[in-house]
Amino acid sequence: MKQRSILLIGIALVLMMGDAAAARASQVVWSGLVIANNVAQPTPVPAELTRMEGTLKELFGYNQFKVIGQSRKSVVTGSEDWLAQSKYFSLHVDSKEGSDKAGYLLNLKLFQEQSLLLETEAKLSKASPLIIKGPLVGDGQLILLLIVQ
Amino acid sequence: MKTFEEKWTAWIDGELTGAELAEFEASLPDKAAAEAEKRNAQKLGTFLKEHLPCHAMGNEEFFNHQLRQRMSEGETRARVPEPSGGGRVWWPIGRLVWVGATALAIFSVCTFFVMRESTPTDQSQYLSQILNARVDPAVSPNATISMFESKEDKVTVLWVEGLQSLPSEFASAK
Repeated sequence: MKQRSILLIGIALVLMMGDAAAARASQVVWSGLVIANNVAQPTPVPAELTRMEGTLKELFGYNQFKVIGQSRKSVVTGSEDWLAQSKYFSLHVDSKEGSDKAGYLLNLKLFQEQSLLLETEAKLSKASPLIIKGPLVGDGQLILLLIVQ
Repeated sequence: MKTFEEKWTAWIDGELTGAELAEFEASLPDKAAAEAEKRNAQKLGTFLKEHLPCHAMGNEEFFNHQLRQRMSEGETRARVPEPSGGGRVWWPIGRLVWVGATALAIFSVCTFFVMRESTPTDQSQYLSQILNARVDPAVSPNATISMFESKEDKVTVLWVEGLQSLPSEFASAK
């Protein structure tokens, strides 16, 4: 009886730890380079931006948002790096030591080809997207977005 | 100490003697009726003996074997305790304590994991934060940086003005 109880407790603990580990491992950071502009017939916003459509329109005053480069990275250890790239722009993301359950500590660098335009350090919260206004491009605007999915 | 029924049966069978017989007959409320009943019982016994003879058993050995086997099985079952539940309604104190401690441990572990996953209480932890930002002054000498949080939309914005404008071909995807 005692051995059976110990076995059951063990199984329960393993399952709970497995769930916690799975929850941690399932965190995906979506990083996107988005061009916003105003057009007569705007295309629907990409699925990644659906829940932020109103906020983006209100902030920037554009009616169309097109993803020109993106990356979807599963963050497991918290110390990883990745790249979201378009033809001329690239966003280097480096997840640094200090990431915890509240969010990821990120170093972000926006390059225009080889030229560093912007560098920032940010703590990306799981419940709060990060929006960065980039340079004007043609009749529109480059926007950088980071979202924990 | 024999009961009245036992004495009555023995009296009908003629097995009471001496003082016991006298004492029993004295205790009878209606001795004549009892004597009549005794005679009827004896007549019935005689009648049954005459008309219902005992049949001889053809497979006596087999019957005895079966009977002994059943009896030994019954004794074995009586010695071995029930393996589960049936007769044991209440758990012993030791097992109750053990189960209680186990439940408490599981509850504590669950609480620990739930609390670790809970929403941060501090608003600044809840929203993303810009810790620092800079632009290359050689590339964008007129750039200015500001940052703000929109608690309604739960977004954090890094607002950079003055970056060099680029032609529309830079809006190309890969």
